[in-house]
Amino acid sequence: MSRSSKKGPYVDPKVFFKVQKLEEAGNKEPIKTWSRACTIVPEFVGHTFMIHNGRMHVKLLVTEDMVGHKLGEFAPTRTFKGHGGRQKK
Amino acid sequence: MPRLLGVDIPNDRKTVISLTYLYGVGPKVARELCLKAGVSQDLKAHELSDEDLSNLATILERDYTVEGPLRRQVQQSIARLRDIKCYRGMRHRAGLPVRGQRTKTNARTRKGPRKTVAGKKGVKDLR
Repeated sequence: MSRSSKKGPYVDPKVFFKVQKLEEAGNKEPIKTWSRACTIVPEFVGHTFMIHNGRMHVKLLVTEDMVGHKLGEFAPTRTFKGHGGRQKK
Repeated sequence: MPRLLGVDIPNDRKTVISLTYLYGVGPKVARELCLKAGVSQDLKAHELSDEDLSNLATILERDYTVEGPLRRQVQQSIARLRDIKCYRGMRHRAGLPVRGQRTKTNARTRKGPRKTVAGKKGVKDLR
């Protein structure tokens, strides 16, 4: 079930403050975060995030198209290298 | 048989039903259309006058996205998901279910016909 619109989008306050701080300072260094559930809001556009995928942090430059998605959607948690491989021998 | 918006030729069933033969028109929209165009829902499609048809067509063009434009819209939304390489986009690329369904079994609609792997458990029993 989707989130009640009454509450508005979930944005991790820590991530949001960090973005604001970087915005004021005028630099765009990567923000390391574990907050995969955080929604991408327009303020994030142009910033770089390092999103945890359970093992390491995946780098992501946020573009306008990504607004409304969650950070975690861009850091896959599973690696699938394909089935089989007898032929490859 | 009457034609609506170019290619579509709904057959001689009730207007509400035959309108649903258009891509993007379901029972709900069909009913709305009939009301807006002032066409009886129970009339068979071939009994519609030219005037009724043009009425329906103009309302469709004006208030709804159907057929070509709708198909294009859907394609564009999928293309967007693919481009931003989000999870849903990757599932579309891989041709796997997008909305979290199980893939251990089933999911044949997305995956297509079964590709049997020799030597895999269970294959011997099938013989």
